[in-house]
Formats: sequence, C-alpha cells, structure tokens
Amino acid sequence: MTDTLIRYGFLALLAGLVVFFSLATNGFASPQAAVFIFQSVAITGILALGVTATLVVGGFDLSIGSVATSAMMAAAYAMIVLEQNAVVAVLFCLAIGALVGLVNGLIIVYMRVPDLLATLGMMFLLLGLQRIPTEGRSIAAGMTMPDGSTAGGVFSPSFLALGRHRFDFILPNLVPVSVVVLIVLAVLIWFFLEYTRYGRMMYAVGSNARAAELAGAPVKAYKIWAYVISGMFASIGGILLAARLGRGDIASGNNLLLDAVAAALIGFAVLGAAKPNAFGTAVGALFVGVLLQGLTMMNVPYYTQDFVKGAVLVVALIFTFALSNQGRR
Amino acid sequence: MRFTRRAFSGMALAATALFSLPAMAQDMPAPFDKPGDVKIALVRYLSTGDFFQAYLAGVEAQAKALGVQLQVLDSRQDAALQADMVDQAIALGVQGIIIQHGLTESMKEAAQRAVDAGIKVVAFDVNVENAAIPQVEQSDRDLARLALEQAVKDNGESWKAGYVYVAGIAPLDRRDETWREFKAKYPGINEAAMFGTLDNPIANSVANQARSVVTANPDIQVMFAPYDEFAKGVKIAVDEAGLTDSIKIYSADISTADIAAMREPGSAWVATAATNPAVVGQVSVRALAMLLAGENPGQQVIVPPTLITQQQLNDNDIKNMEELSAKLPQFAHADVAMPAWMPNPNK
Repeated sequence: MTDTLIRYGFLALLAGLVVFFSLATNGFASPQAAVFIFQSVAITGILALGVTATLVVGGFDLSIGSVATSAMMAAAYAMIVLEQNAVVAVLFCLAIGALVGLVNGLIIVYMRVPDLLATLGMMFLLLGLQRIPTEGRSIAAGMTMPDGSTAGGVFSPSFLALGRHRFDFILPNLVPVSVVVLIVLAVLIWFFLEYTRYGRMMYAVGSNARAAELAGAPVKAYKIWAYVISGMFASIGGILLAARLGRGDIASGNNLLLDAVAAALIGFAVLGAAKPNAFGTAVGALFVGVLLQGLTMMNVPYYTQDFVKGAVLVVALIFTFALSNQGRR
Repeated sequence: MRFTRRAFSGMALAATALFSLPAMAQDMPAPFDKPGDVKIALVRYLSTGDFFQAYLAGVEAQAKALGVQLQVLDSRQDAALQADMVDQAIALGVQGIIIQHGLTESMKEAAQRAVDAGIKVVAFDVNVENAAIPQVEQSDRDLARLALEQAVKDNGESWKAGYVYVAGIAPLDRRDETWREFKAKYPGINEAAMFGTLDNPIANSVANQARSVVTANPDIQVMFAPYDEFAKGVKIAVDEAGLTDSIKIYSADISTADIAAMREPGSAWVATAATNPAVVGQVSVRALAMLLAGENPGQQVIVPPTLITQQQLNDNDIKNMEELSAKLPQFAHADVAMPAWMPNPNK
C-alpha cells in the first residue's frame, strides 16, 4: 500500500490537479491550454533536464540560469550587432554553453573546487560578462551602440521561428517549437541515462565515484561531460528564450535556475525513484506548470504562487527522503 | 492629483516668463559664471538597465551644457554603500549632490549630513524627508492617466480589462492608484483578471501568466500593463493566442525594443505613456543648478510624461529612442526647471 502510494502518489496528484482545474476554470481542458502549459515550462524544463545530468554524477550546476541568459544575449548580439544569420547565432550559443560546461567541469574535476562553489563563481562571471559587450544595455533591433552608432542587424525570421512557429498537431498551428524541443530533449536524455552504458555509468559515478573508478570507469571524463550537457541544455533554453522575446534582455536568470532546480528535485519523488531521473524531472516541471497556470486562470495573485511552488517542493522532498527510505531501513 | 501637473506647468510658465527678460539671458548667475570650479556628484542606487543608462546620459548632457564637473558614484543597489558614498562626496568637496533612488531609511540621515555641510541636494525618486531637498519625480499618476485616457478614447467607457500589477513597488503602486480612480470614474470598466510577476526574465514570466488569463477570459478587450516589461509579456501571449485583433494593450515606459514591438504589423500594443529618462536626468541637474544659483526649483519638480501611440510611431517611421526624441519634440525636452540662463543640452 505505502509502496503504491510512494510510487504513483505524485502522478495521481498531477492527474487530480488536472481534473480539478478543468472543472474549476473555463478553458483549462483544451488542447490549447495543454500546449501552453507545456510551453510555459519548456525553458525551465530544458534547464532542469540539464541540471539532472549533473545531479546524476553527484554534482550540481548553479550557473545554468546565467548560461541561459548569456546565450540569449549572445544570440541577440550575433544577429543585431554582428549581423549574422540564425544558424551562426544558434551555433554561437551552443558553443558558449559547451565551453562554459567544459570550464565548469575542468575546474571541478582537476582544480578540485567543490561543484557549488565553482558554478556559483561561473554564475557571477557570466552575469557580468553578458553585459560587457553592450555596456549594460539590452539588445534590440535599432539599438544605439555605446559609440553612438545604430546597430544594423535584425533578428532573423528563421531564428524567431524557433520561438513563434507552431506545428500542426490535431489542430493546425498548435504545438510551438519550444515544446517539441523540450519533448525531444527529454526523451533523448531519458534514454541516454536509463538505457545506454554511458548513462548507467554516470549513475555509478554519482553513487560511488571511488568504486566506479576502481571498476575502470573514466570518472573524470564522465563528470566533465555531465557539465557540458548541462551547459548546452541551458544554452538551448537561452536560444528559445531569445526567440520568444525577440530581443536580448539584461536578466539574471536566477528565477530560471531556481525553477529548474525545483523541477529536478520534485522529479526525485516521481515513481518513488528517490534519485535524479529525467522522466521525473519532466513530470516535475509539468507539475509546477499545471499548478501555476491553473492558479493564474483562477485569478490567484502571484505571491501565493511562490508559496505553492515551495509547498510542492517540500512535499516532494518529504516523499523522497522520508517515505521512500522507510522500506530500506 | 490630476491638477498637479497643470498647476506646475503653469508655475513653470510663469517662472519662464519672469526670467526670460533678454538682458538676463546672457550672463550666468554665480557660481556658473565660473562653471569649471563647480563640482557636483550623482549618487546612484540603481544603475543597470536601459532606463538608468539613459538617465545617466541625461545627467551628463546637462552637466556638460553647464560646464560643471560631474562625479558619478554608483552603489549598485547597496543601500549602506550609497549612504557612505554621500559622505565620500562631502569629503570630495562637491557643491551639489543628486541622490538617485535609494531607500528612505538609509538615505535620510546621509542627506541631512550633506545639507548640514552646506551642500545643495536634490533627490530623484527617493523621499529623503527633508524640506531643504527638492524631489525630482516622473509623475507615475500622470503616466497611468495618459495611457488610460487613450484607452477610453479608443474603446469607449465600458470594456472588459485585464490588469497587470505587482504590489509593493512604489511606481507601480502610484500607477495603481490612478487605475483605481479610473475604475471608480468609469463603472463600465470591468476588471476581469489581475495578474503579474517580477520573476526574471519578466516578459517571459508575464507571457506565461497572460496566456492563462486570455484563455480563461477570451472576451478581454483591453490589457492595462503599466510597465513596459509587463506589456511586452502580454503582447507575446496575445500573439501566441492569436487574439491580436480583439485585444488592445496600453502601457507605460518605452525603450528601443518596445518601439519595435509596438510597430510590428498588427501589434496589439497600441499606446504607451512615457517620461524620457534622459530628460529626467537633465531636469535633476537643472534643479540642482537652480539651488546652487540661489533659486528655488520648488519642493516637487515633476517631469511630465508624453503619450506615444503606435500611429505616431508608424507615421513618423520612428525606430529607436533617438529618433523618438528627434521627431517628437515634447519627448526630447521638458520645460521644467528651465530659467532663462539655463543652457538647453538639446540645442
């Protein structure tokens, strides 16, 4: 009984919420609503999947929020100021994400800086760095550069399509690109972590690095790769953010970080896994999305939403740490 | 509150008339006859973001036009440091200080110390509770009023509204007062939903919320989003929901990115009311200069806002803030704290 509760409790709660909001609000039970709930969590969900990879190897990545906003600024800078096309902008962002992840990984693995501290440092570094090229200005088409000239580039239509194009699915023009990206990345990372040798090794590294090393696993390489994955996922999130907003906004990305971490931690509780897992992370993100969008539709003010987010997280953590361990003790 | 601006511009006009005797226009009053010896300091609390960049540019432009030395001290949202910086400015021997934002609690005593040291002080958007210190303000109530008057003009006196608001932020609270007044004045305005968040990036978070709101209330006609980040988020949601034809967005504040968003073909963002931050910066320096010259700029120096409509932007083909200043002269200059001897940095 307890076992079933732990295993399926969270999913049942999610289903219950969906039923409740469908009855309580107008328009919640529609394909459009389903899509924009996915869309509202797409970016934090992608970041959360990335941070899951670092959680799996027993690490943590605090820099994902600022990697995402740096990628957003970089995309805008590449197109507006350097007048490049969409492909260059996307590659530029991915390269930044990979590079930041690599540097994080190298600092943590070879310089032996604790993961929280290394990525905290990287977070601050990126917050400053993203502002240096434009001297603290947000980037938009037609902006005035520090030297007084006007930037000539524009957001390329194919880049904006990443945020605005919608695929036909059941209804025409229904599913936005960001949702497709979220689902594809979720399936990829889930398959990678659960079913490939590399993924299983990452879990082994996370649960006992020494044992994994003695068993002949290149522990350092796995750890570094986890941060590269995290950085690249965060930069994909940033690309989608830039495409949706259509400009490069000065933003700390701290809320992105916190929401993503919350989703990944809620994910621990899904199916009673009690460990980081991609499926749980995706469900966790969705859970927060359903709650927040449902409450907004019911006209609940914003400050209660943070409260609700926090409450969900606390309950999920209790699920994970208290209930799931009962059987084992 | 609605009469304040008119009363004030009346006063400003009278003041201008008094001072515009031709003989006086030539010579500058002391200490500006030797402007190179005049040192003023700008002590900032907030500095990141387009608004504050533009504000600084305005301060610099007016200081340059006067020929005075300007020292910028930036506390980067550190309230204690900002108070220390006032003491630092006193030690540097400046004659005038502009306090830009900050907290009443931390700045009140520091401002008093500066006044005690014989330094002239003006404050922008922070109340330091000191009768000797004029307050420079952009009138948030007027901002909201201009935008809402336009909404009534466009949509009549009765419509269903969505309202974006976060309590506890002083300018938003002041804009909220006007919204309440309007709802009382026009009973036909029905607030169907109130939402809002300052989660960063704001536009993205507000877009998510607005998406839910327009789905739950598809018959909303007007979105009042009295902060441009809110408006940007609402616009994204309205576009995504395909409701651009049935919803009109009215907002406050403006930036180059906002101009682009308002001018997108079929954009639902039809009007915004804004004070030019550069002008606010200029007025801050001018009010200080009047104090230094022994004149009284008034206890409250209010910079009047301008209404900017999508139509105006399209008609004049305005693409960024510079073109906005160039093509809408009322946006580029405010006749506030402008005695005849005062050099106009826009000329």
